Amino acid sequence: MAAILFPSQFKRETHVVNGVNTIVLSAGSGPPLVFMHGAGIWHGLNFALPWTQKFRVIVPFHPGLGEADDDPAMTDLHDYVMHYLDLFDALGIDKFRLVGFSLGGWLAAKFAVEHGHRVERLVLVGPAGLRGKERPKGDLFLLPPEQIPSLLVSNFDVIKPYLPSDPKDLDFVGARYREGGTLARLLWERPYDTKLPRYLHRLTMPTLLVWGEDDKLVPVQNAEFWRHHVPRAEFQTFKGAGHLVLDEKREAVDAVQRFLS
Amino acid sequence: MRGTARFDFMHFMPYIHLPENHKEFHSVWVDFPNKYYSPQRGHELYERYLAELILADKVGFDAIVVNEHHNTAYSMMAAPNLIAAAVIPQIKNAKICVWGTPPNLEYPNRLAEEYAMLDVLSQGRLEVAFPLGTGMEYWANPISPASARQRYRESIDIILQGWTQDGPTTYYGDFYTYRYLNPWPRPYQKPHPACYIVGTGSPETVELAAKLGFGYSAVFVTKQRALELNQQLRRSAAEHGHQIRPEQLPLQIITYVAETKEKAEQEAIEHMRFFFEDALRTTPNFLAPPGYLSVNELKKRAALADKLHGGFNFEAVNEAFFVAVGTADQVVEQLQEWGETMGTNHFNLLAAIGNMPHWKVVKNLTLIGQDVIPRVRAHATAERRVAAE
Repeated sequence: MAAILFPSQFKRETHVVNGVNTIVLSAGSGPPLVFMHGAGIWHGLNFALPWTQKFRVIVPFHPGLGEADDDPAMTDLHDYVMHYLDLFDALGIDKFRLVGFSLGGWLAAKFAVEHGHRVERLVLVGPAGLRGKERPKGDLFLLPPEQIPSLLVSNFDVIKPYLPSDPKDLDFVGARYREGGTLARLLWERPYDTKLPRYLHRLTMPTLLVWGEDDKLVPVQNAEFWRHHVPRAEFQTFKGAGHLVLDEKREAVDAVQRFLS
Repeated sequence: MRGTARFDFMHFMPYIHLPENHKEFHSVWVDFPNKYYSPQRGHELYERYLAELILADKVGFDAIVVNEHHNTAYSMMAAPNLIAAAVIPQIKNAKICVWGTPPNLEYPNRLAEEYAMLDVLSQGRLEVAFPLGTGMEYWANPISPASARQRYRESIDIILQGWTQDGPTTYYGDFYTYRYLNPWPRPYQKPHPACYIVGTGSPETVELAAKLGFGYSAVFVTKQRALELNQQLRRSAAEHGHQIRPEQLPLQIITYVAETKEKAEQEAIEHMRFFFEDALRTTPNFLAPPGYLSVNELKKRAALADKLHGGFNFEAVNEAFFVAVGTADQVVEQLQEWGETMGTNHFNLLAAIGNMPHWKVVKNLTLIGQDVIPRVRAHATAERRVAAE
């Protein structure tokens, strides 16, 4: 693993939320922009640097993922919404821009549905959470762990520096397995939210949907469900990009920045 | 060895007619296409395997053992209680051991009822074990591996409450709510059939067996590990005020007896190879679904899997596991020795190995019944007499 996951601009703070050590990275100044990461954050945050020019970019690790502690009592996504209410109180932020990617997109949508008055603008990047009609349905558990990295991108070179040279590297495998346990608590018995569509009309804030056209994990066809339920949302897709569209396409990062400005 | 030696015959009932290209499949579990299952050949195998279980009773085994697996050619016992029910009328003496249905994969009240039915049907000859289920079972069933252990604990709690308290009672758990827990029938045996935990030695299951005073059967662990687990169980059980009796520690042994050592090896090895290379073949991902193991345990097993990489090697398997393949004399001696070191008198023999043909199983069971069981028993009895003098 050659690459630096979290560039030095990001400062690290620890907040204890309901007894769980939650690490929060932040960089830049300006209005707050909260980024909710996906099911793994081993691909780092380099893509987010441009946003720090205009915003105070705040990236909390979700409990049980990345550098945050585990909390086995958190067994559904609503527990994460409640966690973030506490964390945002601790951070002293009231209203903010919210960007969520993949699992973080699902969580961001859920947060915004329930606490829309706090979300000034919302960006959902390849969000999981809705039940697609075709396989794969964004069901990580259908994929052997060793195959996941290459399925995340259109151009493997983009994430190669973040992966160990030996795919059987025990620390890497162990860290992913630990995150898999967290995800299994949340998603094993139902890898989507059957109630979310019922409430998506509450996304009345300006909303942008971003997708990589070659997304193999949450295929771009899933955008149709979101657009059906959030008809006013803007929608942008990017050619030559997979699920990690922000990592692969600077244009996507810039598009998010323009939308949030 | 203390007390009367006890002999079980455990059958896995594999579906042995794998397609010619089966090595191309990464697993014969979970996603191995079920189009390769022929119901006609399955029927023939059931007939044959049931006959083998019945034969074991006739030649002097004390118990027959069946267990549960899903989505696999490894075992044709997705519902072991059905097999138990099928043999009970034909097995007059031996105990019927269902070792067992993972209690977290079935509604606990229903499992309490089914086991009670078998106990009543067999006039109190049932024994049960509570396995957590292999990792593979969680890919086949709609239950999360991440909460498997909590659900498992709660299910056992409910089953024991249903068996030991006069109903109706109530149970308000994290997973299940029972307003009228009142299983009909009740078990024939009081307070309930003998119970074991079956596992691969995770600290949580050993501790649970210790707490409940259950027996423990370690499966697919090395000899050294099995010894450590037995010692650990005795220690922990003592802390909980339970004294573990030798018969509560069934020792799983791959056993094959023939006229000479060479002949025994020659007749058994190819089927052991099938068992280890083919019947057990699966992927690390299927073995360890997310949340099923602790991260440390996962890393330990991943490192070990790398070490064991390569094909079946009889010497290595012989060295690592309990394998008794030889003449009756040799097997008797081996069992006595392991009984001493492991502190048990309860031998659970895997005597129908892999894709072994019927004649070999019949031969093996007959020789064990004739030349092994009586001599180990006589030895144990003689030793008891000496101890008493």
